[in-house]
Amino acid sequence: MKDYKFIGKDITRIDGLEKISGAAIYGDDIDFGASMLHAELVQSTQAHAIIKSIDISEALKVKDVYKIFTGKDFPYKFGLYMKDRYIFAQDKVRFVGEQVAAVVARTPGAAKRAAALVKVEYEPLPAVLDQMEAIAEGATLLHPDLENYPHVPWFFPKPGTNVAHWRKTRKGNLEEGFAKADFILEDTYTVPRYAHCAIETHVAVGKFDYSERLTVWSSSQSPHTQRHLFAEALGLTHKNVRVIAPHVGGGFGGKAGVTMEIIPAALATKLKGYAVKLRYSREQEFINTYQRLGVVAKIKMGVDKNGEITALDHKIYWDAGAYVEYGANVVNAVGLSAIGPYRIDNVSIDSVCIYTNLPPGGAYRGFGYSEMLFGLESHVTRMAKTMGMEEIEFRKKNAIMEGDTTAYGAKMNPNGLIECIEKATAAIDWGNKPVPSDPNKVVGQGFSLLWKAPAMPPNASSSAFLKFNEDASINLIISGMDIGQGYQTVMAQIAAEVLSIPPSKIRVETPDTDRNPYEWQTVASHITWSCGNAVKKAALDAKEQILTLINRVYNYPIDDLYLEDEAVKCITDNKFKLLLKDFVVDGIMTSDGTFKGGPINARGMFMPEFSSTNGDPETSQGGHPNVHYTVGAAALNLEIDKDTGKMRVLKAALAIDAGKALNPDLVRGQITGGLVQGLATVLFEDMRYDANGKLMNPNFTDYKIPTAMDIPDEIIPIIVEVPQPDGPYGARGVGEHTMLPAAPMIANAVEDALGIRIKSMPVTAEKVAMTYLDSNRQQKNHE
Amino acid sequence: MAIAHEFSYERPQNLHAVLELKDSYRNRALIYAGGTDLVVNIKEGMVKPELLIDIKDLPELHKLCLDNGTLYIGAAVTFTDLIDTEFVFQACPMLHDACKTVASTGVRSRATLVGNICSAVPSLDSATPLLCYEAVVHCASVEGTRNIPISEWFLAPRKTAIKDREVVTGISLKIPKEKSTSVYLKLGRYGGEDLAQAGWGIWLNNAYQYRIAHCALAPIPSRAAVIEAMLNGKELTPQLIEAAVALIPQEINPISDIRSSKEYRLHVSGVMLKRGLLAAIDRMEGRVVEPAKLLGGIT
Repeated sequence: MKDYKFIGKDITRIDGLEKISGAAIYGDDIDFGASMLHAELVQSTQAHAIIKSIDISEALKVKDVYKIFTGKDFPYKFGLYMKDRYIFAQDKVRFVGEQVAAVVARTPGAAKRAAALVKVEYEPLPAVLDQMEAIAEGATLLHPDLENYPHVPWFFPKPGTNVAHWRKTRKGNLEEGFAKADFILEDTYTVPRYAHCAIETHVAVGKFDYSERLTVWSSSQSPHTQRHLFAEALGLTHKNVRVIAPHVGGGFGGKAGVTMEIIPAALATKLKGYAVKLRYSREQEFINTYQRLGVVAKIKMGVDKNGEITALDHKIYWDAGAYVEYGANVVNAVGLSAIGPYRIDNVSIDSVCIYTNLPPGGAYRGFGYSEMLFGLESHVTRMAKTMGMEEIEFRKKNAIMEGDTTAYGAKMNPNGLIECIEKATAAIDWGNKPVPSDPNKVVGQGFSLLWKAPAMPPNASSSAFLKFNEDASINLIISGMDIGQGYQTVMAQIAAEVLSIPPSKIRVETPDTDRNPYEWQTVASHITWSCGNAVKKAALDAKEQILTLINRVYNYPIDDLYLEDEAVKCITDNKFKLLLKDFVVDGIMTSDGTFKGGPINARGMFMPEFSSTNGDPETSQGGHPNVHYTVGAAALNLEIDKDTGKMRVLKAALAIDAGKALNPDLVRGQITGGLVQGLATVLFEDMRYDANGKLMNPNFTDYKIPTAMDIPDEIIPIIVEVPQPDGPYGARGVGEHTMLPAAPMIANAVEDALGIRIKSMPVTAEKVAMTYLDSNRQQKNHE
Repeated sequence: MAIAHEFSYERPQNLHAVLELKDSYRNRALIYAGGTDLVVNIKEGMVKPELLIDIKDLPELHKLCLDNGTLYIGAAVTFTDLIDTEFVFQACPMLHDACKTVASTGVRSRATLVGNICSAVPSLDSATPLLCYEAVVHCASVEGTRNIPISEWFLAPRKTAIKDREVVTGISLKIPKEKSTSVYLKLGRYGGEDLAQAGWGIWLNNAYQYRIAHCALAPIPSRAAVIEAMLNGKELTPQLIEAAVALIPQEINPISDIRSSKEYRLHVSGVMLKRGLLAAIDRMEGRVVEPAKLLGGIT
């Protein structure tokens, strides 16, 4: 293996000091003093209704109120993959919490006081709060004019129904596959909605100046995508729209695309000269940003007596909410990948995106794979048990290998799935359960595989500028967001490795779309891979400029020159050494006193030119929609109190194939954080709606996210490295994947410990205790 | 999140001034000590006071002492004060246990026990020790003082026996002279701070007298009189514990809400009563008990 200086090393985060010292600027720090106005939303109290009238007269009388805007002021539609969304509700509201109007005032308090006085008269319509009801015959339609909505070519809406997109994947012959099966298991699994709960709520400031230039500061994972959607929706040219993304206090997918940021952007265009800030309260964060989609999954799997999976029929019905402009791509991604990391010849997948009168679904760490894997990995464990094979052996037998075909026909990339399985099971001593700490408790072991591909348009690209400063320090100008994963540090490591400059001499700033080059979005766990390739190319461009200059001045062949310790050296002349700081800006003085060279400015770009969404709409065969999959395996020991149902993770191991861990410490951080987040979604989080579509727990009182008290006793992060051929130094993404195995792993451990199978998330202490109690009662009755 | 409601603020320097203000504003003035409930309620528009009377400058309200078998807790004493005071744990272990389960470290450093009982939510952890130690709530108004037994304090969810012109100045608990001990068990949804799904407080003495109280299992926190009567005078045996558990449906009247179903509350109450009684015996016999770990889920 090649010996690297900075790649694969536990380099300290380059943004650490800025963050811990308080120097870092966040969205809410943006201030314009007296010319700053504050917006507050008037939000729908109805899940589905016609807006009869809006009376703003009383609200306008409130002191310090400046203006009030409604849907009439902004008759525009927008959306990332499907234009089905409005800046403010037009004639109808489609979920409780939808923005109907905005009050703009000189203080946040005045805006809030006035917002409470805006009177909206509604004529209620029947609300559809469940995806299975929404696709039933005669269901009320949320979008009667669906056929007119522009969307990307790989979506297949069904006008006249509530189906916004239906991804069908067909491979082999399903009937023959089931005919070959000796065992068939069929069941249904359900997953509720979840909230991201980033500690920083959404915040954005819009400013439209008298030269008609729009600047938006926003807490965002997607500054360039935001600029594009603002320009499109508001009818502006891209050069006149500038998005500045300060540091982000957590994203988890919730700050991908555009949600509330378009509101202050749009309001600003009607308030020339002022800046308008909208900052969400925690409650608003819960009710009107993207949420993770809810799922009902019906799985039918066939296995022959040798343990080979002969057929899989996977039907997934998604509660995608009132607007699916982003969420439909979650549905699409899973519809291509719902075989899990298995080699299966006969497959049918239906992934159905369904409109409901609940808040819009969208990106959430895992992009639908957590929801899909809860069912599939629960089912696989049960399938193994049904046919009498040890579940790890069963998985190994069917594990997808390099060169196997995926559900849509493309070849699987190199991967270390078997190594992950072996290392994860060894780490918790699979098969040997620890003794429970007291007689009220039992211990179970649970296991799950994971896989996920980045879900991206085929032309999603990254780019990088790199400029040298006089002392050979570097400004690396890129447009991804450090949302905790360590992006800035890892990008600096890549440039450092190519240019022999230590990462501590490289500054990576948060993006400004005026100055930083294009980046699609910081989503899909693609940023290390995609932007890493762009940065590497930029660094190689700089290196080439440097070596070409040396060649021009000193006549050493370029192939004999190399960079080491911030200097250019030559393999044929060990006395030659020219420090980068001596020429990367000022150039090199030659004997006649003239200078050669000049400032080194470099660029790099990466687009996966092999990717294509041109699959057959009926089978998905033919395209290459996913660039690669990252795989892994996880296992845990779970102690359960039989009487209270309370659970405690004694030890959890997660092995993931990172291709190449560019910064192992940061990868271990992702594994730990992702696993804890995943465990919370299965053990105690969930969003609960009442019969009127109102969220009952829009707060941390009743929506629980983990504290230090809820961390497993021991987490063992395991890095496997089977290089990704087209990744920077072999790297591929791991960020989202680390939470994927948590839910099925817990459900499997509960069954192992207590003999009960829970098929709906979350698997709370209450659910475990009551299910166990029922099973004991039934057993007693039986006896 | 902005506070839309506008109000006046006073920080009087003596109790008389507090009582005068309260007398003239009545229910339009609210007392501000920790503010951990109050400020949230104002933000959410649940209360709209004209005046907040901040009582934190009054030294007598910070009094926390144990005199002649009476534990006195002033109205401005915080949960952290109570947790950090050794004689509180010695005199009233259940109060120590309960205080440690209220909210989070940050909130406990501001929130007061008296504020807690004035909020009077059904899931009030601190009510169980007050009920078991038969606390007295000291109220004052311009007309004089009034002592209200805790058993008459809670009237309904979020409703107490206090009158509009009154202010609570403190609470006192009688610490029994004989050898006794107590424990509080709380069930929450996870390891972090939570409102109780169920709470059980158990007191017993060396003469096999029992006092048992619960919260989050009825409209108001209450004593379990039927169970106490059945247990009193008897040494604990497994059979006796089972008999006590069997009486639970007669004692509690839980509802289903977002925190728990009624069925789980009924079921888990039996587990808590049983483990609580055993833990109390452990404490009586000098063994160290960590109530937070008794229900599982926590290391």
